[in-house]
Amino acid sequence: MCGSSVKYTHLLRSAFLLVFAILLGAVVASRATDAPKRVLVLHAYNYTFPATTIASEAARRRLLEGSQHAIEIEADFLDLARMPGEEHATRTANFLREKYSKMHFDLVLVVGTEGVPFIIKYRDVVGAGVPVVFVGGSAANYAAMQLPPDITGIMSGFDLDKMLELAERLQPNATRLVVMGGSGRADRGWQQATREAIEHRKRKFERAFRFDLTYDAMLAEVSRLPSDTIVLLLSVYADSAGRPLIPRDVAVAVAKASTAPVYAPFGTYLGTGIVGGYVETYESMGIAAGDMALEILSGKDPATLPPRINPGQAFRVDATAMKRFGLKQGNLPPDSIVMFREPGVWDEHRNLVLATLFVVGLQSLFLAGLLFQWHRRRQAELSLRESEERMTFTAASANIGLWQFNRATDELWATQHCRVLFGLARDTPLTRDTFLAAVHPDDRRIAVNALRGILPGERPAVTDLRVVLPAGQERWIRVRARAYRDGLGTSDQLSGIFVDITEQKSAAAEAELQRQEVTHLMRVSVLGELSGAIAHEVNQPLTAILSNAQAALYLLAQDIPDLAQVNEALQDIVKEDNRAGEVVRRLRALLKKGEPKSEPVNINELINMTIALLRNELISRRVTMEIDLADQLPAMTGDPIQLQQVLLNLIMNAMDAMASMPAAARCVTISTRANRARAIEVYVRDRGPGLKPTTGHKLFEPFYTTKDHGLGLGLAICSTIVQAHGGQINLANDEAGGARAAFWLPAQEDLMAAQ
Amino acid sequence: MTDPGATIFLVDDDAGVLRAISRLLRARGYDTLTFTSSREFLEAHDRSIPGCAVLDVSMPDFDGLELQQALTAVGNQRPVIFLTGAGDIPTSVRAMKAGAIDFLTKPVSEDALLAAIAHAVQVDTENRQVSSEVDSINARFARLTPREQEVMTHVIAGRLNKQIAGHLGTVEKTIKVHRGRVMEKMAVRSVADLVRLAEKAGISPRKP
Repeated sequence: MCGSSVKYTHLLRSAFLLVFAILLGAVVASRATDAPKRVLVLHAYNYTFPATTIASEAARRRLLEGSQHAIEIEADFLDLARMPGEEHATRTANFLREKYSKMHFDLVLVVGTEGVPFIIKYRDVVGAGVPVVFVGGSAANYAAMQLPPDITGIMSGFDLDKMLELAERLQPNATRLVVMGGSGRADRGWQQATREAIEHRKRKFERAFRFDLTYDAMLAEVSRLPSDTIVLLLSVYADSAGRPLIPRDVAVAVAKASTAPVYAPFGTYLGTGIVGGYVETYESMGIAAGDMALEILSGKDPATLPPRINPGQAFRVDATAMKRFGLKQGNLPPDSIVMFREPGVWDEHRNLVLATLFVVGLQSLFLAGLLFQWHRRRQAELSLRESEERMTFTAASANIGLWQFNRATDELWATQHCRVLFGLARDTPLTRDTFLAAVHPDDRRIAVNALRGILPGERPAVTDLRVVLPAGQERWIRVRARAYRDGLGTSDQLSGIFVDITEQKSAAAEAELQRQEVTHLMRVSVLGELSGAIAHEVNQPLTAILSNAQAALYLLAQDIPDLAQVNEALQDIVKEDNRAGEVVRRLRALLKKGEPKSEPVNINELINMTIALLRNELISRRVTMEIDLADQLPAMTGDPIQLQQVLLNLIMNAMDAMASMPAAARCVTISTRANRARAIEVYVRDRGPGLKPTTGHKLFEPFYTTKDHGLGLGLAICSTIVQAHGGQINLANDEAGGARAAFWLPAQEDLMAAQ
Repeated sequence: MTDPGATIFLVDDDAGVLRAISRLLRARGYDTLTFTSSREFLEAHDRSIPGCAVLDVSMPDFDGLELQQALTAVGNQRPVIFLTGAGDIPTSVRAMKAGAIDFLTKPVSEDALLAAIAHAVQVDTENRQVSSEVDSINARFARLTPREQEVMTHVIAGRLNKQIAGHLGTVEKTIKVHRGRVMEKMAVRSVADLVRLAEKAGISPRKP
């Protein structure tokens, strides 16, 4: 009994372990496949080059379809053809290097031959060791480049032999062979290879090589050929007169003029009217590159994958051109791809017959369907009405009005609750204008602009408006609106809701008032702490005034008064009185309650004023003050009183922090600086014990304090004030010891731009 | 009305206050020297100038109380009056214990200031008289021969010529001649006068 129980437990445990192991394995495996792979696609040219655009798009699709991993693709156009020269290349490399400095790539896909030397030279833009797969170019292009082993790719293959095979098969009776090509530098490369390919074929023809004709002579030549001629058209970048030509355009003209079938080794010529060749499409290049990239991404060493000829080459022929020259599809090599096939007469005919056959059946079905449809539609309408009623009811219960509006026709649909929200009378028609008339005159433009700017697909636009009710009171309405495309594809349809947010707004206003109140109280409480120092500050001028006055009185009482001395004494009295008045004025400003102001602020001046206020506090606490103010600070606007409060708080904190330090070590440093981002930075450093590591993030929370006395509101209020000015504040330990409070405020124009 | 030649040393970091008090005192016939920091005062202070010092208590770096201590530490007897913005009791007690003449609160009334200064100047004058008398006693004492000085310490201890002679291993007659020289050089007529002089100058009697 006991033994079997033990055995059972053991079995259970093994089973559990097994399940656990499987789960663990699954987790590990899924993690391995889950890590996204990042691929950088570099187009050698720009978007307007169809070759690279088609190839890269095909590669991208292949990557996304074929990968086990999530793939993230970044892409850039190097534009090396339109902007030749090293300057552009360096500039582009610098741009990429900076752009991707923080990004790791698993693979780079270079589309277009000219991108390969670029990436070899500027491999560091993605980091050495990131494998590169290129697309395009022929083996001859790469022979001279000495590719590193981790750069591989797909090359174009131009198979002249297969092209000749195609021509021979399609024209079994041909006796003549005319090879035509341009006189450009790039053109001449093809001529020798073509001659050799022709020599190697078993079947011999009467041959003519036409590489030195003018464009017009070429067209004249092909228009005179007997139909048993095979015409091979190579590249024509220029004719013998040196006239630059676009090869594909030449192919169009030659194919049109030719009286004999024309073949070519280039995929680009397909669709120009030539019969075809053993060619590739850019799409097939892209697919092959995608496959190669997938191999590397799944872990294959790129060094084991030498550059390969595009395996996507095939016999591709133009059905229309074949038909024109009476060539038989039966003669095509196996696996040929027939393009531009026209629908056969039979196919059309069959469709017609089938269509006719089905007409009668369809008509009866249609009738039945219509009846059914009519029923369904009634049902749908009923349920739609119900659902609309439900929605309207629910919305009204939630104090929400629903509406739809067509911007083109000004047609408006709105629930009855909108009427309530806007205080519209029962008989007022619900139109755009009646709603607009209810909006507060100051907010009407906002309302109109808000609805005008919304585009389909964007997030709903939110606008808060004031509505004036007939009784005169204001109500805050939040409008959320969304644009969408209607059935006709226009984007003039808007839909949205109205919500009454008056309470929310008044709560926010209340909170703002309370915040102002607390801010003010804190200011008063800080000044309370300073009262002794401030009394001293007023007392000094009073002392001077009294002594001067008594001296003057005494002087005047003399038999021969020294009036010059009396005059000086009186001048000093005036000066000292101004000084006392200045202290009182500063204090009164700080004690004043009021809404935050926005006016030009000179931070350096504020700092000097604050230090003046603190002068005696500094002396009695035996704290020295170092000041390092930047000369050129950008202009800014803000509330000087609030900003002074921040300074006052930070300096008081700094002094508090050093209370236990020996007097000689008590030093507060204040500095300002304009940083590069056109912001004003202010630092307040102390030489106290610094911050405890655990307190850091809590310091700006309300009611958190590290002091024995204190509410814990000082920094919370500083933070609120600085943030309200569009800046930020932080507190950290200074490298030189002690704590460092830093805040920055945006310069005037940046703040305006941000709003 | 005031002692001619008394100079008031004013130390306050507030230039406005300094100028005003200085003006007031000059109008009243005092000479003033003003300093905006304790260090400046200590560096330039000439103790031979008669007068008193009026110090501000609260100054950055080196306050009035510290200045008072620094003066005492070097044996300077300059009478000190304190001025303070906030007259807290512990500070005033400390100042008075350290020998301050007065501890006045700003803004200070003319009468209180002038009274304190008059008192301080008087204390300074007395100090100076005492110290000039001691100086003259010491000068006279220095003119005695070592033997005469020795005899004098015995005389002020109240010993008779016979006892002194016994102590010094000589005859009574010789001691009598020495004593006569001492009385003459110290310019006193009686032993009682000699004892008073010795006390003032801190010359102690010879222990048996």
